[in-house]
Amino acid sequence: MTAVITDQAPPILKGPSDKEKKYDRQLRLWAASGQQALEDAHILLLNSGAGTVGVETLKNLVLPGIGKFTIADNATVKHADLGVNFFLDEDCLGKPRSECCVKLLQELNPDVKGDWFPREKGESLESLFGHGHNFTLIMYSLPIEAESLALVQKYAEKNQVPLLSIHSAGFYSYFRIHLPGTFPIVDTHPESTATTDLRLLTPWPELSKFAADVTADIENQSAHEHGHIPYVALLLHYLGKWKDIHGSLPSTYKEKTAFRDTVSAGARRDNPEGGEENFDEATAAVLKTISAPSLASSVKEVFDYKPSEVEASSSFWVITDAIKQFYGKHNALPLPGSVPDMKAQSTIYVQLQNIYKAKARRDISEVLEIVRAHPSGKDVEVAEIETFSKNAAFIKLIRGIDSTPPSIQTIASQEFENDKTAELTMMPLSLLPIYLSLNATSHLPSASSSDILATVGKDVLGASDNQRLVEAAEEVARAKGGELHNISALTGGMVAQEVIKIITKQYIPIDNTCVFDGIISRAQVLRI
Amino acid sequence: MVPTMRRDHFNSQSFGSPLNTMVKEARILMVGAGGIGCELLKNLVLTGFGEIHIVDLDTIDLSNLNRQFLFRHEHIKKSKALVAKEAAHAFNPRVKLEAHHANIKDPQFNVRWFKGFTMVFNALDNLEARRHVNKMCLAAEVPLIESGTTGFNGQVQVIKKGVTACYDCAPKETPKSFPVCTIRSTPSQPIHCIVWGKSYLLSEVFGTSEDESVEMDHSEDSENAKEIEKLRQESQALKNIKESMGTPSFPQLLFDKVYHDDVVRLRSMEEMWKTRRPPEALSYASIIEQAAETEISKEKVLKDGQRVWNLHENVVVFKDSLERLSRRFEEMKSSKSNGNSAEPTITFDKDDEDTLDFVTASANLRSLVFGIETKSRFDIKQMAGNIIPAIATTNAIVAGLCVLESFKVLRGEVSATKEVFLSPFAPERLLSSDRYRAPNPDCPVCSVAQVQLLVDMSRATLNDLVEDFLRLELGYGEEIVVNHGDSLLYDVEETDNLTKKLGELGIKSDSFLTVIDEDDENPKGPRVNLVLSVQESETLGDKPIKGVDLPASAVTENDAPASPILRKKKPSQPSNGTYGTVAATTTNGNLTVSNGTKRLFSEVEEGSSPKRVKLATNGDGSNDNAIVIDDGAIVIDD
Ligand SMILES: [Zn+2]
Repeated sequence: MTAVITDQAPPILKGPSDKEKKYDRQLRLWAASGQQALEDAHILLLNSGAGTVGVETLKNLVLPGIGKFTIADNATVKHADLGVNFFLDEDCLGKPRSECCVKLLQELNPDVKGDWFPREKGESLESLFGHGHNFTLIMYSLPIEAESLALVQKYAEKNQVPLLSIHSAGFYSYFRIHLPGTFPIVDTHPESTATTDLRLLTPWPELSKFAADVTADIENQSAHEHGHIPYVALLLHYLGKWKDIHGSLPSTYKEKTAFRDTVSAGARRDNPEGGEENFDEATAAVLKTISAPSLASSVKEVFDYKPSEVEASSSFWVITDAIKQFYGKHNALPLPGSVPDMKAQSTIYVQLQNIYKAKARRDISEVLEIVRAHPSGKDVEVAEIETFSKNAAFIKLIRGIDSTPPSIQTIASQEFENDKTAELTMMPLSLLPIYLSLNATSHLPSASSSDILATVGKDVLGASDNQRLVEAAEEVARAKGGELHNISALTGGMVAQEVIKIITKQYIPIDNTCVFDGIISRAQVLRI
Repeated sequence: MVPTMRRDHFNSQSFGSPLNTMVKEARILMVGAGGIGCELLKNLVLTGFGEIHIVDLDTIDLSNLNRQFLFRHEHIKKSKALVAKEAAHAFNPRVKLEAHHANIKDPQFNVRWFKGFTMVFNALDNLEARRHVNKMCLAAEVPLIESGTTGFNGQVQVIKKGVTACYDCAPKETPKSFPVCTIRSTPSQPIHCIVWGKSYLLSEVFGTSEDESVEMDHSEDSENAKEIEKLRQESQALKNIKESMGTPSFPQLLFDKVYHDDVVRLRSMEEMWKTRRPPEALSYASIIEQAAETEISKEKVLKDGQRVWNLHENVVVFKDSLERLSRRFEEMKSSKSNGNSAEPTITFDKDDEDTLDFVTASANLRSLVFGIETKSRFDIKQMAGNIIPAIATTNAIVAGLCVLESFKVLRGEVSATKEVFLSPFAPERLLSSDRYRAPNPDCPVCSVAQVQLLVDMSRATLNDLVEDFLRLELGYGEEIVVNHGDSLLYDVEETDNLTKKLGELGIKSDSFLTVIDEDDENPKGPRVNLVLSVQESETLGDKPIKGVDLPASAVTENDAPASPILRKKKPSQPSNGTYGTVAATTTNGNLTVSNGTKRLFSEVEEGSSPKRVKLATNGDGSNDNAIVIDDGAIVIDD
């Protein structure tokens, strides 16, 4: 065996802070701003039932460095807990589950504070909520006592705190996100390919002049020059020629493909390569970049939303209002200002970059001016306005749970209707039966399948006659409220991912329920 | 009073008795104890798996602690495999755990050893090891559960010989490389300067020569022979400066050499700068004088890796990191003096602060010389180290999915396995799954015939293998090629080795030989590649080479004698034609679209170009690992 443990002490760390090094890999996903949001957060887990899925979720939040967490749990540790919960050991038997889990979770990351409740036997949950804690987000695992649930819902409603419910039993699980009111996201992290915005159909004077300069006397340019005209300039050049001939810019698919052919025909082919890379880039970019800018429906939704009086004074809505005015005036959003890599001489490329950057700066200062003129716009930070302007095309508003949500019956009818044609449409079957069966045991440690079907039947007509519902109910009944560690660990990963999105206000969280079937390894997101 | 429930109460309840028994009796090999490995080990232990072997070569680093939860600060620099074992043991003392702090490619982990497991889990971070385990599991016919993550994305796949596609059924992208002249003479992007700092300057000063770097593409060298010769002289002059390492003048000598003298020479080549901005040389003495104040606040600069440093800050970091590296180098030299004559080397490691600072500063200084945008250390770390972000959540999900697939394998339902993808940004489903893919008939790794070879090493010559075994026994014709790893042992023109003993050619137990049939005349096409795995044996009869478990020759051919090695069916169309499209996922080292052409086993095995290398018959058998893939290039989750 080549097993060797070196007894060397950990090295003395210099350079970036310990923390920056420890979090290096994740900072690349949510940046320092997201990390700060995590470190400012205090998460409450109301733990009940078999008690593993919530703790596994917390593990995935303690590791990336959430600021603080509290576990509220009345259970004491039993033998069966040890087989399913990694954060309990033999020494914990008979002790409060909350305290033991907090201590072992905290070992994962000394930067994170952990607290548990109750501190004294018999302390009621009400006193936890009366303590003046400011919870950033609350999770509760199911099944839960109805009274406790009512309390936590009341608190979340009053304090506008995001609430997550999690239920894991046997091979099944689901989690559901309840966001208070509206939830706007600026930093949605769109795919990098989607963010290119070159404004080729509406160039501004500096850009037009640049293109004219570098394509001047294009026929007689040297091979090197001709082969290094950046494709942005090539496209602008040929668009100008097209307009001279046709009187308007290419707009239909047919016109665009014809335009693409004229661009391609401009390449010199009497060289060893038999073509020019910059012309290939230009040709490839035609269909994607030659299109009139249109407002994404998600941005329209934000523009159309009427914020309440309280909401309206928040920086998000103040900036939205300014961007909307900007759009009204220019029929375009502020320019993001980035230029993709392309074949070009480096000086020319830098020049092109500067033209886009300068225009982006002008747009931002215009937005800034409008913001400052707003009654609540005095204190909005410039950095926030910059980020917003750059991301304007991708902002997104998640609505909270509707005040009058569609009934379960409506959703069930829809889902089961889809299932009838599933074989034809090659769509997988709905996982709603799993949600319904788990949901029927929201306040019961375990139940028989007929009890489950009877409960589901109160909301969904013909529940006991639906074969897939019967199967799901039987599977839930078979689990008797027990969790499988593996399913809870997996679910805990998914829940934590959504929690991170919500806390960092980056990326788009699911809307609003995710159901997981561990028998077939499949998840489905439903809006319930 | 509630009756006391057993520890595995929930498991036996949900699994049902047969699966619970299978889980308890399974013997599991887990390769890799990093991000996925920690999660997987926890899940396996709490799922009740009876015996788990862990292999990992790595030691624990600070940047692992944000997700590899079995490790603590006090474990830094210790073996991942051993610490993981200890941690998991505490949670279920009844599981039998064995840890190996070793490279999975070590000879002790041979095919026979792999055969001892019910199932293998890959929880690896690099292409090379993944390919190796894939190959071993195919040879040992043990099911493999392969997984990988990239940021929020992840993927799980079950690999079973003859049933599913293997890891190499879809070709993988190789690391990006740049023409030498771009790096050395005409950089135009930050990445060119970063590669220069990492693969040229750092390795010239503290390591091996740039010629061995995979990031530098020498294919156009002949076109630029004159410039290449100049560059060679530059490197030589650099080596002379190396002599002054450790003296106070070293930073200045090195700086003025690469940012002044070399730049002045480059600039004098006027035709090069007709259409480019000419480089501006820097002078150490004047800058360091101006940077006096910056030098006082050096510690603050070093802590600020998110901000882009200015000229003075870069010079200060250049000097400081160079001195740190020089000291380390001198220490390595003096501690190695006991009989070991090899020069020590310091190579780039993204998590090694000294090398990162040096590469950041030297790349930025070069960018300033050439008028290229400078970058923050945070960004350069990502670009130089090919960092792929890794987080706890994705690992947790992927590890959970691995265990779910393992249940299907245990039940013998490989045909029910899925390829599962995490697509966290598809709003209507966080996970998506596809039916497993069938093997790619053109795959050079799994669509090959495999034969175990018993060899009497004291007698067997290459001629015994080629003439007696391959031609007479298996019916091969004239047009064959025999490779050992990347090296050519035999083809029609390369007959020098025929009289040599296999041992002299570097072949030993657990060596793999590949036989490629190049008989394109046969109307049924050439035979599929044949992989021979060598086992030493001294108790053979009159023939020194014997095949074990030869496939029955079901098909009799016209060209007698009949051969058990199947011929390629052509034209070959993958059943669902998705070898390229599956590649849409970003995990497991970016797949690329297959062009369906015949590839050599060795090419896939080592990720190198498909040229046949002539064997240097040094007889030490070391050519198995002749080509080393840059470990920074394909890292997924370390
Ligand atoms: Zn294959």
